[in-house]
Amino acid sequence: MLRSADLGRPERPFRLLAGTAFAAAIGLLIVALFWAILSAARARAGGEVHLDVGYVLYITTLQAGLSTALSLAVGIALAWALNRLRFPGREVVVGLFASAIVTPGLVVAFGLIDVWGRAGWLGGLGVPIFGLGGVVGAHLVLDGAFAARILLGRLDAIPEARLKTGQSLGLNAWRRFGVIDWPAIRGSLPGLAAIIFLLAFTSFPIVLLLGGGPSVPTLEVAIYSAVRLDFDLNAAVTLALIQIGLCAVIIVASSALAPVATSVARSGQPRWQDAGAARAAQWIVLAFALFGFGAPLAAVIADGAVSVPDVLAESSFWSSMCTSLWIALGSSVLSLIVALAVAAASAAAPGRALRTLVAVPAYAYLAVPAVALSLGAFLLVRDSGLQPETTAPLVVVLANALLALPFAVATLGPPFEAIARSRGRLIRALSLGGVRQFTLIEWPLVARDAGLAFALSFCFSLGDLGVIALFGTQNFATLPLQMVRALGAYRSHEAAAIAALMLVLTIGAFVAIPKLFGRLGDAGA
Amino acid sequence: MLALEDVTFAHPGAPAGYRLTMTAAAGEVTAVRGRSGAGKSTLLDLVAGFLAPSAGRIIVDGRDVTPLRPEQRPVSILFQSETLFEHLTAARNVALGLPGRADAEKIAAALEEVGLGGIGPQRASTLSGGQKQRVALARTLLRAKPVLLLDEPFSALDDDTRASARTLVQSLTRRHGWATVLVTHHADDIAAIAGRVYALEGGVLRAG
Repeated sequence: MLRSADLGRPERPFRLLAGTAFAAAIGLLIVALFWAILSAARARAGGEVHLDVGYVLYITTLQAGLSTALSLAVGIALAWALNRLRFPGREVVVGLFASAIVTPGLVVAFGLIDVWGRAGWLGGLGVPIFGLGGVVGAHLVLDGAFAARILLGRLDAIPEARLKTGQSLGLNAWRRFGVIDWPAIRGSLPGLAAIIFLLAFTSFPIVLLLGGGPSVPTLEVAIYSAVRLDFDLNAAVTLALIQIGLCAVIIVASSALAPVATSVARSGQPRWQDAGAARAAQWIVLAFALFGFGAPLAAVIADGAVSVPDVLAESSFWSSMCTSLWIALGSSVLSLIVALAVAAASAAAPGRALRTLVAVPAYAYLAVPAVALSLGAFLLVRDSGLQPETTAPLVVVLANALLALPFAVATLGPPFEAIARSRGRLIRALSLGGVRQFTLIEWPLVARDAGLAFALSFCFSLGDLGVIALFGTQNFATLPLQMVRALGAYRSHEAAAIAALMLVLTIGAFVAIPKLFGRLGDAGA
Repeated sequence: MLALEDVTFAHPGAPAGYRLTMTAAAGEVTAVRGRSGAGKSTLLDLVAGFLAPSAGRIIVDGRDVTPLRPEQRPVSILFQSETLFEHLTAARNVALGLPGRADAEKIAAALEEVGLGGIGPQRASTLSGGQKQRVALARTLLRAKPVLLLDEPFSALDDDTRASARTLVQSLTRRHGWATVLVTHHADDIAAIAGRVYALEGGVLRAG
């Protein structure tokens, strides 16, 4: 009759200490970055900002708002269609949409140009691909697919008994959506909307490629332009502070909403299918979505494949490839270690307040967009008397690890908490020590989630342009930076080949890494 | 032997005037019956150390274990469900009862004793409810603690499995000299194996 989750939790002072130390370190780092930006702002107090901040803010909010609304609408329709339809290769299609979260924005933007651009597959249709429409379109492709995969998870989780009741009552497709589906997904929509808004609000490579110049100057691109092109640090600092403030407001507001899990279960059980017009509508939705998401990716592969042999013969490609891989590996190892420590400490902490306190610094990095984080790190390095060029590798690894940390902690936190809650008493009753608890109980159960966290971090880092954009040099370039440079120099074949290779590498890593970790976990069982 | 001496527990969720005094003899099953919400599981949590009493003492074989943490108490506990870690094999679940390295012979012998010889390599998730309880009992054998606490352990089992599980608990209790405390609201479980019975009503234990 009386259950105390905290009394059942195994006491793990070492975990708590390690997790708190990590939390304090990442908390201090964010304070230092913020301090560097604020100090720069103070030093330039009264300096003129050569930029219409209000307009930048308006455009950023407008594109993010439109991207969010349209992505949710597409996500709901696509999730609905995928939940009902069964066809050969469905798992591959669902997996394709699931990969949207890690597909580099740069690659999607490039693929959209390949399909809809003037010289693209469907260039004759005259669809405007540059400017606000192009930016929103690219976000719609990525975030609509991401939303669909998350919402499909909710629809697939509807209890069988509820579906059987609905079926026996003879609900038609539309009433079924209102009575059964909508209640299952509506709780996830506010949290999902907040995530998509943040992704679109802080979008960098898509706006850089499709923004069409100064007509769509979002905050992230404006910061980059202020630092790298206009050398206007005053404007960069002002914009970074505005962006961090606004992102923080969105995050604080969305923290009151239901969280959205990054991890989704396999989708495949046979279900009650609709008929008639609803079924036709589902096929149409699926066909449009497959074309909208699949065509740009197919175009990237098709156009890039031709030039891949030439690019593979370039030493600069291999140099960028190696840099990309070790940065991705380094940042994902670091991100996973910190996320494991934070998640384990949070689950071991007695009391909700301490649990929140341990995890909050990791989530704080959601409020710091890549370019703003990069700017803070740039200022911090410079103020410390160090050369940005010499510290760049370390800073880029660290920055990418920190940017992936909220996703890694969000992926690992719930399973650790669930084990502590449901199995804590048994673990205590069996007098298991911390090491045995981790190796025998936790690792086999969280290995796949750890793989997902690792893969997310690896892929984010592989596709990152925001951090490397400020720290990259002629001798220190990653694949995305080399691709942008190739585009800037009108070497579009080289850019196409790099985009194709990045796409294959990213999706391959996203599929393979969780499976590899899952096997490692099974071996531990 | 297990003894609870004037153990009280004050909590907003606990019945007012919760006061427990009881003894459970070695080699005997002592049953505690009571309706849902009477505080039966709280009693086990107090003995196992998951909850701390406001006053009173818990004695095992003459030693006051009240200040000890759950990991340190000379107690094994079997829950109604979640007795095993489903991702581990039966043998590895049993091995969790040993403090050091797994001893394959001891594990096999323990499984044999509960009638599950040869089941060691099977994953716990593939076992039936009755088999899971037996594996948990095999683990208890290796832990070799003098007190066994059973929290409605037979509730999820069908009649035949239930009867054989009861018999097994009773014979292991006698053979190993455990002071076994069975918490249940099933009269037939009590009638079948309990040597001594307490009723928990209004937060107070009464014999019978």
